[in-house]
Amino acid sequence: MLSRVASHLYWLSRYLERAENMARILDVGQSLALLSAKAGDEASAAEPLVITENIDAFRATGKPATPETVARFLAWDPQLPSSIANCIEFTRENARSVRGSITSEMWETINDTWLQMQAKRRAGHEPIDTAFFDWVKERSHLLRGVTFATLRRGQPYHFIRLGTFIERADNTARILSVKQARNAIPEQGASQFEYYSLSAVLRSVSALEAYRDTYHDTIGARRVAELLIFDEYLPRSLRFCAEEIGLQLAELPRDAGRHARRIAEVIHAGLAYGSLEDVHRVGLQPFLDQFIQDNYRLGDAVHAGFMETQ
Amino acid sequence: MESTPLKPIAPPEGIFDEMLAPGGDAVRRHYGAYGDWLASNSAETMAAKRAEADLIFRRIGITFSVYGDESGTERLIPSDVVPRIIPAGEWALLEKGLVQRVTALNRFIADIYHEQAILKAGLIPEDQILANEQYQVAMIGTRVPHDTYAHIIGVDIVRHNDGNYYVLEDNLRVPSGVSYMLSNRKMMMRLFPDLFRRYHVRPVEHYPALLLQTLRDAAEVVTPTVVVLTPGRHNSAYFEHAFLAQQMGVELVEGRDLFVKDGYVFMRTTSGPQRVDVIYRRLDDSFLDPLAFRPDSLLGVPGLLAVYRMGRVVISNAIGTGVADDKSIYPYVPEMVRFYLGEEPILKNVPTWQCRKPEDLRYVLEHLAELVVKEVHGAGGYGMLVGPTASRDEVQRFRAVLERNPSNYIAQPTLSLSSCPTFVEEGIAPRHIDLRPFVLVGREVRIVPGGLTRVALRRGSLVVNSSQGGGTKDTWVVDLPEDSDDLTPPAQSQTPIGQTQTQAGPSQGAR
Repeated sequence: MLSRVASHLYWLSRYLERAENMARILDVGQSLALLSAKAGDEASAAEPLVITENIDAFRATGKPATPETVARFLAWDPQLPSSIANCIEFTRENARSVRGSITSEMWETINDTWLQMQAKRRAGHEPIDTAFFDWVKERSHLLRGVTFATLRRGQPYHFIRLGTFIERADNTARILSVKQARNAIPEQGASQFEYYSLSAVLRSVSALEAYRDTYHDTIGARRVAELLIFDEYLPRSLRFCAEEIGLQLAELPRDAGRHARRIAEVIHAGLAYGSLEDVHRVGLQPFLDQFIQDNYRLGDAVHAGFMETQ
Repeated sequence: MESTPLKPIAPPEGIFDEMLAPGGDAVRRHYGAYGDWLASNSAETMAAKRAEADLIFRRIGITFSVYGDESGTERLIPSDVVPRIIPAGEWALLEKGLVQRVTALNRFIADIYHEQAILKAGLIPEDQILANEQYQVAMIGTRVPHDTYAHIIGVDIVRHNDGNYYVLEDNLRVPSGVSYMLSNRKMMMRLFPDLFRRYHVRPVEHYPALLLQTLRDAAEVVTPTVVVLTPGRHNSAYFEHAFLAQQMGVELVEGRDLFVKDGYVFMRTTSGPQRVDVIYRRLDDSFLDPLAFRPDSLLGVPGLLAVYRMGRVVISNAIGTGVADDKSIYPYVPEMVRFYLGEEPILKNVPTWQCRKPEDLRYVLEHLAELVVKEVHGAGGYGMLVGPTASRDEVQRFRAVLERNPSNYIAQPTLSLSSCPTFVEEGIAPRHIDLRPFVLVGREVRIVPGGLTRVALRRGSLVVNSSQGGGTKDTWVVDLPEDSDDLTPPAQSQTPIGQTQTQAGPSQGAR
């Protein structure tokens, strides 16, 4: 398989996953703003910017941070590479370059998503409401389903899955990291806002139901961290992502993937055999920072191994 | 729902219509069943079908990019819902003529890069070939497998109002459009399954399989690795490149995916370098190798030419085929058929004045308003003058350009291209069409029946290029119970068009 094609497939899925994650973050941010007494303050409005590391780019626009301006910026800004609109644009551009390696159903799904986005943009007032975020999530779910149902389990499939989980692991770690910093979690007597805030974290990664099923208890910060880091079965936990990354790399050419596999195995071992006690020994924040860095190195190794061959 | 009955509008007098016999009332026999079907359908049904087709085309992404169009960088090529039907008997003759023509062209290319017998025989002036921009010195003495230079050829054919087919030009570099032929058929079968029950339409869907076979034939290794080389996704025909690669099950590569090492060509893959044996290239000669041709080109592969000349990779079509589809060489093709094959050409050329010849130029300047004048190296309907439809101003401006550089132009009589009923705003109305069959030259010559029919969608327009408002039609070669059609003209007549209007006489090759 061509190195360039591998790169397009990998980034195609990373960008769509990024669009979906952005929609999740904004959706939860908006509904939280409606519920919370702190809704008016700029820090909570800016939270999606902090999570996605776009705070500087937003400040450069000179606009005040309100839930509305932040959401519009992250969803539609044409200058922002990771805005939802651009992620969908890049997804299609990458897909367009590798139409021969994906199924026609996949291409049509991606192209249709792009056409619908154009229509939304043309309609004048670019939507940034729950209906829009649901649409983004739905289109992302749809492509995943179409991929699952139509694409042969060859290298293209595994590069697509690899992109999805590397991007997703990064996202989950960031969401946890920001919530952790802002709340400075007290163990007992969580205030009402903290309750909403934690349930928002869970909802943003589709884990609210999983939390209830696992703990049958009120929502507590420690358990939220435990679930999102160590749960073996939750599709957005760090451990789950690491397991999937390992499975994909095992199906890709072994020699070219040596370095990436090694990094992935180390990350995986820490999650599969670690516990919350280990995390607290180093501190949750340093732990997450380290994870984000390791995951980043993994992305580099994937590039170097498969996509920059001579 | 309101319904408007459908009846094809007759073309103006003097135009040959593919469906309607002269007078416009009778339908030619091969269109009989279609005419009946049309009469039982309404304009509303057709409009609904067309809308459905547009939607599907857009969703599938069968679009092309238009150069210099910033706003809508992707447009659909309109696909008409009325088929162009060719009776099998006519097709058999075309097919025979095409095989003959491409065989002679390949012999000609081999000749001019080796023995140059045709030049020695004085049939074509030497400087026309050797000083031609498209003549690649690097190919002199370079052997290509099986002496086949052009593996994929698109021949543009029109039907004049005398009912005869004429070759308008040969495309021996990177002919495009075959993906539209395939998509049109797929769409028509989806929209009008009942029509395919009424007609036995010869299939075209196996084109990619034939193409792959042809490309494999072109190599001398046993199981060659074939790739399609594209300039990239910003190229106007990118859809086609990707489509063909996918249909053939081979890699679609860009220049940066390939590299030369130890005298061979490799592609970069996720498991390391892999050798490449056949490159079906969809970019022009000058972009192939920055070391040998344009140094500023980022699209090609440095060192490719050296490997090619050692015979370690096949490039299809070969480098240097462009000299044979140059419009200044076109007038000599009938002579090539006689010279190399010892046969009379089955397909006719359109009479052509070569403005490089003083007597031809004089005639062209005197009759500018009646003629079509084209650039020798032009393509895509750019840089040409269609005398009868041009304004006086345009004619004057073109005259100045022509006088400044006459050898850059040829002229031909304005053919009244045949018309075919087409679904447009005013109903089923006559629009001018041409035909591009795709000829594949491997160990044998293979042609899928029909080809791509292009249609000028503007009333009266003779320019069918997609970049100039042209559309396409599905092309059906149909077997009729008894293949004799009294409304179709007799076999090719011996009188070439244009003969009565000349004094200087169009050049039909050197005498």
